[in-house]
Order: sequence, then structure tokens, then C-alpha cells
Amino acid sequence: MLRFITKRILMAVPTLFIMAVSVFALIRFIPGDPAALMLGDMADPASLSDLRERLGLNHSLPIQFAIWFGNIFQGDLGHSITSSQPVLPLILDRFWISAKIVLIAVLFAALVAVPAGMIAAWRQNSMLDLLLVGTATILLSIPTFWLGLLLLIFFGLKLEWLPIVGYVSFSDDPTAALLYIVMPVATLFLHEMGVLIRMSRASTLEVLRLDYITHARAKGLSEGVVLMRHAFKNAFGPTWTLIGLVLGNLLGGIAVVETVFTIPGLGRLLVDSIFARDYPVIQGCLLFIAFVYVAVNIVVDLLYPVFDPRVTAE
Amino acid sequence: MIVKARTLLASCLTGAVMAAALPALAQVTPLRISLNADIRSTNPGVNRDDNTDAVVLHMVEGLVAYGEDASIKPLLAQSVSLSEDGLAYTFKLRDGVKFHNGAPLTSEDVAWSWRRYTDPKTEWRCLSEFDGRGRSKVQAVETPDAQTAVFRLDKPDALFLATLARTDCGMTGIIHKDSVKADGSWDKPIGTGPFKLEEWRRGEFVKLSKFDSYANPAEGKPDGYAGSKRPLVDELRFVVVPDNAAAKAALLRGDIDIVPDIANADVKEIKANPSLGLSIAQNMGLSTLLIQTRDPLLSNVKLRQAIAAALDTAQITAAVTEGLAKHNNSIVPLNSSYHTADHDKGYAYDPEAAQRLLKDAGYKGESIVILTNKRYPQTFASSVLIQAMLQAVGINATLEVLEWGTQLDRYNKGNYQVMAFPYSARLDPSLSYDSVMGSKDKQPRKVWDNPEAQALLERSMLVSDKAERQKIFDELHARFLKEVPFVMLYNGVEASAFRKNVHGFTASVLSKPRAWEVRVAH
Repeated sequence: MLRFITKRILMAVPTLFIMAVSVFALIRFIPGDPAALMLGDMADPASLSDLRERLGLNHSLPIQFAIWFGNIFQGDLGHSITSSQPVLPLILDRFWISAKIVLIAVLFAALVAVPAGMIAAWRQNSMLDLLLVGTATILLSIPTFWLGLLLLIFFGLKLEWLPIVGYVSFSDDPTAALLYIVMPVATLFLHEMGVLIRMSRASTLEVLRLDYITHARAKGLSEGVVLMRHAFKNAFGPTWTLIGLVLGNLLGGIAVVETVFTIPGLGRLLVDSIFARDYPVIQGCLLFIAFVYVAVNIVVDLLYPVFDPRVTAE
Repeated sequence: MIVKARTLLASCLTGAVMAAALPALAQVTPLRISLNADIRSTNPGVNRDDNTDAVVLHMVEGLVAYGEDASIKPLLAQSVSLSEDGLAYTFKLRDGVKFHNGAPLTSEDVAWSWRRYTDPKTEWRCLSEFDGRGRSKVQAVETPDAQTAVFRLDKPDALFLATLARTDCGMTGIIHKDSVKADGSWDKPIGTGPFKLEEWRRGEFVKLSKFDSYANPAEGKPDGYAGSKRPLVDELRFVVVPDNAAAKAALLRGDIDIVPDIANADVKEIKANPSLGLSIAQNMGLSTLLIQTRDPLLSNVKLRQAIAAALDTAQITAAVTEGLAKHNNSIVPLNSSYHTADHDKGYAYDPEAAQRLLKDAGYKGESIVILTNKRYPQTFASSVLIQAMLQAVGINATLEVLEWGTQLDRYNKGNYQVMAFPYSARLDPSLSYDSVMGSKDKQPRKVWDNPEAQALLERSMLVSDKAERQKIFDELHARFLKEVPFVMLYNGVEASAFRKNVHGFTASVLSKPRAWEVRVAH
């Protein structure tokens, strides 16, 4: 087990290095000068030159990279060009906000989608199956921004049950915090539920066709026991992998949902930074997202044997 | 028995609800204004953008400020006088003005603030305007007494006060020295404005509170950033709402009281809603179609004249602003006191003349690419109409949509043929002309490169006599229409929507929401 963990962590190092180089290079391929964007169309050449000097943009690219990369090893991702804040604490603050929403949404989505997918597979081609698959397809086809706006208009504007804009942290007011994150969580929950139902159904269908299920049924076991004891564990593996991918993906930022519901999360930070060409924040965010993605997948791989005994961490 | 139990239950519930509601009623209900992005800092004129200026200028005030007609008015100054040689500006300060920490405003604070602004470590964005790299250099700030500050310049500068008052310079706001920490780094604005800073929660909101000891500069109505500026609400909150649709929904629901920049397309709906009010102001920004006069094709003046003749700028303006703005073919903004009848003269929309000019120019259907962006919806919409009108007279115009940062980069490098481009507001005609005029060899972003016209512009920055300046602007306009270095379409328009229980709010020519003289009836 320890060997497996060490191997996976060592494999992550080159991934993160390649990511660091690519992020640094790619963001600079995008035309646009952070200093010019900060000063806008009113910039005079003297102010522009002063600002470029202060931001360190007059150095050559290799020197800029060496400074940035060297600082990473000291836990310093630099300072934001636009807000002057240190990047790492900024990212961590925003990440916890996104993570709360994503974790709650994915947890609920998995709790509903996995049994729903199994039931759909168990009752394949029935009305129930059609209903579940149809719902799942509709949910995953609706763009999250539109779904978010629909919820916002219906529950916020028409029914006036939930607040429309803003964010309250749990430490300030737990009840208000809950009210503010209901709609973003619901948006993600509905969307991801669609994705997970389809995967859960497909993997259960595959398992239900195997000989040992027929054997279990032939033994006279009830359908409930067949499904829960024999089908679930084997069918859950691919869905678990997908949950890991979905988590990794969403933890990297839910910019659209955060923009619609004015949540100051990591995704919005990244998008705002791209528009402002805030290089240190973009680089820091992308590197952090890559790290989260890798970490989540290592955890998923480590937990895989818990659900599927055929797989071992060795 | 059952009825009694129900009554008792209802009474208990009502009591509980009342008990819960009472503290809420006692709480201050803030005036909430939406911002489409968070502010960058609270440091005036340093790390800033339009939103930052809008918030900071509720806390900080300068010696002079722009009025609604873009003229310069005293703010912290009681009066301003200019020496005969044009080299010394004397500011007499108003009596009774206090900082948010209770300290009285003195000329020493003016001198200290100036020293801080002109220290390169402060990174004031307007430093280059005053340290000799711009038109003039401030050589000294003297304080003969506690209520007088004298700024001494190395040469006359007609735009000195106009530059001091610029909102992007933080109005050169006078702040108390406790605004910075012991090491000289920025802490928080302790200014003289009608509101003081309570809390800035990044990405969420900026909370300000009423400054009870505010010394109102004038009775009557607000006038740009001057005039009456009483704080009438106890708490003011600028709430970050990046999504337009969400901001509108929040306004309709009552979660936001004022949306200062409602989309033009929503104006009809807002007007029809009895619980909402609308205030519209045409600002001094320039909405333009830039033409690269060094492009081999577009260096031909006849082709540029053909483009101007092919465009019905009145129709374009009406369409993209939903009829809210009037077209303007002059670089001098409509609201400027220098925009006389001469500046109402514009291009004549004449498709037949455009076709004749194309023939004279020897145009053979070469492709002309119009760059545009979707960050500013009006710019994009006008580009679509421009493309159609150009195609209608036989110009092979195509559209290329760029992300704003990329378009700005192409603008700065002069790397385009034709570009729909919005300039932010300059409040003096000389500054409006200066934003587009200059040598392309020195600054590739400059659009109109004509040494004779440039000499006229430079003169307009030296003379203070209004009649003489008017003459210069009139001549520049005549040359502009003839040479067509670019096409001027209209000045920007600001539509602000507010809840009907908000009283006293008006959109401003300065394109920023103002919360003074505004109250909320609950």
C-alpha cells in the first residue's frame, strides 16, 4: 500500500511540473498586456512603462519563469497583479467556498443517482427505466448557467423563498449560509445527478448480465439481496471513478454557477484573472487545480479496493 | 377546545415571529448598489478601475471636482485662484471640514497627501502628469497658513485642475496621514467624504457607513462630484453581482436597491415595472469606429470618406442604445459646454456618394476586417450594423470578434484595419482629442496623426481663455470631418434602475453611482 502511494505521488511530480511549464507558457501566448488592461485606454506610455517595471513584466520570459518557479518551492505563488494579495491564501479562501458547494452537491447527487441508476438497470426497458434515463439525459443536457437562472427566477423571484444574490459564510450565520447555497448546490446536484445516473445504470446493466448474478438468482436469492450484495459492489466501481473525475473537475472551479449566483469561489477568481491577465493568479489557480485533480484521483484509486475486492492497491 | 388550542398556538407563533422580527427591524437597512466586479483596492488613484473609483470617491474628496456639466468646481477648496503668470494655483480650504477620524482638514494634510502621491513608491497612476513627463511639473506645494495651499508649476497648464479632479486619479483625494501604516504602506482611506469604510469583504461587498460630521460643500442638489453631498442613509453597501441577469433579478426581488448599469435592452421592461424607476445619462465616453490610416488600403482618404458616407450614424446610435442616446460625430462630447452648433455638423449619410468615393479611390473589393468584442454589447451591436451598411455600398467588410484583452492589445499596437472601440470618458475636450491624436511613430495606438492638428491641440492645453479654446476645438472638428481619421458615432449612455422606494438617485454624466443625497423609504 505504502509503495503504491509513494509511486502515485512520485508520478504526480512530473505531471505538476509539465503543468507548471504549460500554464506559464500558454497564458503568455494569449495576446494582452496586464499593465495595459489595468490602466485601460487612458494609459499614457510613461505610466504603462512604470507599471510594467513594477509588475516585473520587463524581465525576459525565462527569468520570469525562474523567479516564479523558484518561489513555488518556498510556498510562495506570488502576488495578484490586480489586488496585490498573496496568491496562495487567496486561492485557499476561494477554494473552500467552491469545495463546500461541490462536495455537498456531489454527495447528494451520488446518493440519489447510484440507487436510481441501479433501479433503472434492474427494470431495464420498463417505464421506470425510460423515465429515469429520460430525466438523466435532460438534466445533463441543460447548461448549468441556464438551469441556475431558471432556479433563480422560480425560487428567488417568483416564489421568493431563497435569496438571489450574495454569499454568507457558515461561520457568520449558518442558517443564512444554508439559504444562500441551496440554489448553487441544487444546480450542480441536478446536473451531476444526470451524469451519474447514466453511468450507474450502464455499469449495473453490465454486471447483471454476468454469470454469477444468474447463479445467485438460481440459488433462489431475493432480487434485493442479488442487487445489494452481488451487483452493487462490482457495479459501483466505474461510477466511483466517475465521481472522482467529476469531483476533480468541479473542485477546479464552477465558474458559471459561481457567476450566476455571485459566489466568490475559485472558478470566478480564475475567470476574472484571465480577463485581467493576472498572470500570478492564473498560474497559481491552474497549478492548484491540477494538484487537486491529482490528489482526488489518488484518493479515489486508494479507496477503489474498498468497493471492488477484485482490485488491490498493489 | 381544539379552537382554543389553535388560537393559543397561533398566538405563540405570532409572538415568536414578532420576537424574531423586532431585532431585525432595529437593524440598519442598508442602501444596496450592485457592482459588476469587485473593487481592486481602497487606495485612491493607485490600484483602481471604474468600480474602485466609484466606491473610493464616496470616502475621499479632492480639492476640486467635476460638476455635472464637466466643469471644474471647488470641493474641499472654498476658492481657487490662478496667478497672473499662470504658474501658481492658490486653494483656500473650506472651514469645518473633518476627516473620518475627527481631525480637522488643514493645508498640511494637502501638502502631506501631495508628497505621498508624488512619491514613486505610492504608485499613483497620475504621477507622470505632474512630475515633468506630462504638460507641466508641480515644483512645490506651499502652506502659508492652515487654510491655504499653493501649488507652483514650472509652466502654464490649462488642464492642471482638470487633471487633479480626474476620477481615475482618485480626484487627488486629500487623506489623513493615518490612512497609511507606520511603514508607509496603505491601510484604509481616512478621507473627508460623506461615507466611511466599515468592511470590505473581497468578492462579496464593500460596506460603508454614514459620516455624521460630514461638512456639506453646498446646499441644493448634487452636481457631479460637487454640489450637495449629504449622506442620508446610515449604511451603504456596494454588492458584487457579476452577472447582469442576476443583478436584474435581485433588483426585481428587492435584494438590490440600485443597479447603476442596466443593459439597454432591459430599459423597456424596467420602465413598464411600477415598482422600479429609471435614470438615464449620456456620458462623455466616445463610441468610435477606428480606422488605421497607415493601412495600405485605408491610407486613401477617399476610401475613409466613403466609409463615413456609408454609415447612418443616427440609425446605428438609435438601434444600439434603444433610442436612449443621440448620435454625435464630434470628438467634443454632447454634454460639454464646448459642444456648440458647429459640433452638431457631422457626416452626411449618402450611400450613392459613398459608392462614387469608392470608385474614385480605386477600391476593387479588397477585404476590410472590422475588429470588435462582446464585452461591450453596444460595441458589438454597432459593429454588426456597420458591417451591413458597408456591405450595402459594396465594401467587402468582415467581422472578427476578439476577447477584450486581445482587442486592447491590438489597439495599443495599432494592429488593425478597422476597429469598433469604446473610449472611457474624458471630461475636457482637450483630453478627448488627446486620447486619439498624436504621433503613431511614438505611440502606435494613436489614431489621428496630423502635426498641424496636433499643434492646435497642444495650444488648447495651454490657453485658459474659453473663447480661444472654443475656436481651436471648432477648427479641429472641421479638420476631423474632412480627414476622417476615424468615425465618431455617439457618446456612451448610462441607464440606471432603482427601486421606487429609493429617492434622490440620478445617473451621472460621470458614469458612476452616487449614494449621497439618496434615501430609502422602508
